[in-house]
Parts: sequence; C-alpha cells; structure tokens
Amino acid sequence: MSFELQNVTKRFGAVAAITDVSIRFEPGQIHAIIGPNGAGKSTLVNMAGGSYAVTAGRILLDGRELQGLKKHEISLAGVARTYQNIRLFDRMSVMENLEVCLYPQRTTCILADVLGLGEAGRREQRLAHCRRLLDRFDLVPFAGVEARNLSYGRQRMLEIARAMVRTPRVLMLDEPAAGLNDAETRDLKQRLRHLRRPDLIVIVIEHDMDLVMSISDHVTVMHRGQVLFAGTPAQVQENPDVREAYLGTEDELDAIRSLAQRRKAERRLRQQAGAV
Amino acid sequence: MQTQALPAAAPAARTLRLRGIAILLAAAVLIGLVPYLGSYAIRVVDSVLIYTLLGIGLNLVVGYAGLLDLGFVAFYAVGAYSYALLASPQFGIHLPFLLVLPIGAGLGACFGILLGIPVLRLRGDYLAVVTLGFGEIIRVLLNNADALTNGPQGVIGIDRARVFGIALSRPVDFFWVLLVACLVCGTLVYRLERSLLGQAWAAIREDQDAARGVGINTTRAKLAAFAISAAIGGLAGVIFAAFQRYVSPDSFSLNESILIVLIIVIGGVGNIFGVLLGAVVLVLLPELLREFAAYRMLVLGLVMATLIVLRPQGLLPRNLGPGELLSLLRGRRRGSR
Repeated sequence: MSFELQNVTKRFGAVAAITDVSIRFEPGQIHAIIGPNGAGKSTLVNMAGGSYAVTAGRILLDGRELQGLKKHEISLAGVARTYQNIRLFDRMSVMENLEVCLYPQRTTCILADVLGLGEAGRREQRLAHCRRLLDRFDLVPFAGVEARNLSYGRQRMLEIARAMVRTPRVLMLDEPAAGLNDAETRDLKQRLRHLRRPDLIVIVIEHDMDLVMSISDHVTVMHRGQVLFAGTPAQVQENPDVREAYLGTEDELDAIRSLAQRRKAERRLRQQAGAV
Repeated sequence: MQTQALPAAAPAARTLRLRGIAILLAAAVLIGLVPYLGSYAIRVVDSVLIYTLLGIGLNLVVGYAGLLDLGFVAFYAVGAYSYALLASPQFGIHLPFLLVLPIGAGLGACFGILLGIPVLRLRGDYLAVVTLGFGEIIRVLLNNADALTNGPQGVIGIDRARVFGIALSRPVDFFWVLLVACLVCGTLVYRLERSLLGQAWAAIREDQDAARGVGINTTRAKLAAFAISAAIGGLAGVIFAAFQRYVSPDSFSLNESILIVLIIVIGGVGNIFGVLLGAVVLVLLPELLREFAAYRMLVLGLVMATLIVLRPQGLLPRNLGPGELLSLLRGRRRGSR
C-alpha cells in the first residue's frame, strides 16, 4: 500500500500555494506535516481530499490516480479527513453523525428503505460498528446528543471518529489539537498513538510541536509551498534550515517560548475562572 | 447523571400510552365525522388534504434536503394533465384512474429528475430562482401547446374516476381517496426520513461539503429527493384532475407554488403533522374570511407576517412529529432509548 504526492502544484490565479511537492507516505506510520502559517499545509490536505483541484502533478493511492476525482469518490477510495474548523453535522445526533457515513455502502434500493426490508439486522450491525468507534473515543454516553451540544474537545474527537467509520486507508487530520486545552491535548496524544495500524496512513498537520515530535514517525517541513526538509522528528529538530525557517533564530525562539508560557498561564487562569 | 432514567418514569408509561391512544381516537372520530358534513365543508376538507399531500411531497425537498424549490406546482400540473389527456375525449383515450395514478407519479418523477440534473449544482437563492422559472415554463407551455393541451381553455369533460367499479363523484368519495393517499405518502416519507437516505439528506442540509467528504454522492441523494417529491406532486395532480374533471393552466400559477411553500413554513419545516396543520390554516383562513372579501388578502397577509415573526420555526416544532406519537403509543418519551 502506498499514498504518494508526485510533483503536485497548486496555483490560485497568479499565486502559487504549492510548488512541485513530492511526498511519499508509508503505511503503519504517523506522518506530520509542519510549517509556518501560509506554508501550504492545509492546501495540501484540501487537494488530497478533493476539495481543491490539482493544478499539476499526481496524487496516487496504490497506483490509482486520485486527482480529478470528485470529493465523494476520493472519500470512497479510502482517503478520510477532518477539518481545521470542525465541520460536524451539527443538528444530528452523535450516533447519526457516524451512521450517515455508511450511506454509500448501502446496497438496498429506495423501495427497501421504505418497506424496511431486512433493515433490522443491518441497522443493528451499523449501530454496533458505530458504537465500537464511539467507545474508542469515549463518546458512548453522548450517542443521542446533538453534535453541536458537545464540548469543543469532544467535537474534535467525534470528527476523528467520523473519519474512521469507513475504515479509511489514509486519515488526514488538519490541526487536531487546535483549541484544545492541555488535558485534552494529552488525551489526544494517547488516542493518536493508538490510531497507528499497519494498514493505515495517518497524516497530521499540527502547530503543537510537542505533540508532533512525540507522536510522529516522520516529519515533513513545508515552507512557502515547498518541502524544506523531511526526516525523523530528531533530524528535523536538529536541522539548522528548519530551525531558522520555522522556529526562528535562537533569540526569536526565546521570545516565542516566553510568549507561550504566558499564554499557558492565562489559559489556566481562564479555566479556573470557568470552573468556579 | 442525566442519562439515568428517572424511577418515576415507569408508572408514567401507561399515561403516556393512554395519551397516544387518545390522540389516535380523536383523529378517528374527526375522520368519521367528515361524511356527515355539508357538501361545501367536505370540499374544503378535500382541499386541505390535497394541499397536505402537496406539502408532504415538497417537504421532502424543502424540509429534509434543505433545497428551496419554488416550482413544485409544475409536477402537480404534470400529474393533472396526465389524467386530463389520458382519460378524456381530448384524444379519445380513456385509461382507468388507478392506472393513471402511477403514470402521473412516474411522469412527475421523470420531470423531477429532468429538472434536477441541471439545477442541483445550484444552492439556496439561485436554486429557488431557477425552479421558479421552471414552474412558469411548464405553465406557459401548457397555455400555448394548443394541440396537446387545448391551451388556456383547458381540458373539459374529463372521465369520472372509478376505483374497483365504484364511481367517484361526490366530494366525500374523494375525501377517502385523498385520505388514503395522504396516509400512504405520509408513511412513505416518514420512513424515508428515518432511513439512511434520510440521514444523508439531513447531512447535506447541515453541511453539503462535509457530506461529500464522508463519501455521500450529494447529487444522487438530492436527485432522489427531487424525484420522490415530484412523484407525490404528480400523484396529487392526478387526483385533482379527477376531482375537478376540468384542468386549465390557471390552476398551476406561481401563487400555488408559494402557497405550498407557505404551508410548510407555517406548519413547521420537516414535520408531516406540521404540513397538515399548515394546510388547515392556509385553506381555512381564506374560507373563513370570505365575508370580508375586500380585506381578505390583507388579513391573510397580516396573519402570515405575524406568524413568521412570532414563530419562525413554524407552528409545530420539528420533533413533534409522528415519531413522538409512536413513542407515546409505546409508552415512553422520545429520546429515552
């Protein structure tokens, strides 16, 4: 199994968002794609997921070209994704959010739907499958709750669960830790580690360096629409080009660190205030 | 803690079930009373049921799939003209009513797909404008295709409908036909809403792009909604033509389309009981206001505006539908599963 981007380019009018990017993803691994804002990470996911058309290049899943396929066809081919800003089916229950993903596998015709022919058994199967997934993300007690009424962290978990329903071969997570608090991020870290399976490629776009370095097997650094460097987390951290482009020079780094600490303190204060 | 069932819920089950049975009994008594009404009153009831049927059909597209269709009356016209042309002296064809019913529904579905293929890539207001145009095109076509439809004079002398050898002549006969049609279509639509296809519609309504992202072929799901809804429109048209025994393009103006959308909006979007309530309100109000002919439309407009301001979600909330009644009958509150 392989998932590969070959010389992929994306232009929006005169602006080149991605220029000649080639990445090969290995099954059984967690791949992180990092880079400063505007590096083209989300564009990459949007192209691989079929939201954007590819300007040039090829996207191959097991040798099958995905570029040019419609979005739902790409999803059916086994490429699932989550979104940077959560996009659940808000007014549907947690369980329905998962169950509806099984619609494309439906073999019955409309008439059978109406008459409910042989539905009982199949519905049970569907629900059991979805309940197992909910269990993995500790969402079973919320199965009947409307998705919009979940807490932010649980909405993120539900979105990952939804992407897993049809047992994808490629799972792309667009900033899964965005907006999560420390406890939720730790929790996410554990869950992402458990996602690793020999027949699944996990691609994570993330800004939280601590999370990226601790869970990923392979890191691709993007900068201005191109691949700057690719390697193991340790190699990436040591690479001077990466440090300069992404992390900044040593002075800037210190500034960023102190800013991050201040943010953390503020967040803790807010949480305490919220808890009272 | 909230998920634990309250211990008091068990004895309440019987009261709930009684309440459900009481509602059904009340409905049965109301239905049983209709034949004893005067002929004019029964005509009004028939009219309510025709609009209920149309509302059930359009609700599929507007309420479930979230697509605003302002040309629904075109499918109604297709059904009505199916019967008018296939069971009248116009061409000397005299097919039985029960045969034309599926033909009208099928033709309606065909037109639904025909319209759906080009317009379903549009959303919201754009879709509304194009469907509105389509409705008008069909009406203008009927008005001008003299050789086929006899133009503005309409088709007269349409056959009296017969069901299993019984001639349908009095309004009360059509009351039963319409009642059966509403029950059958209502059940069909209710079951569809709760099927996976219905969930796919809901997902499209919520976030079309995310729905594509989880592998739903949105075009196909929307086409299915359009086709089924148009089939119900066609069915209603056949019954209408058999009831009136006269059709002309005037019956299928834009006003009718808007009226059907209003029935859904007033009653409660996405709710079958809401459609019935909306049809009752919108058919009865003009009848009751008949004495104030000069101010009728003014009062009607005021009532609409007030309703829309005070209850934008419609008179009945979405969750107060057949599901609620069914769970009452089973003796439990909905959502306690």
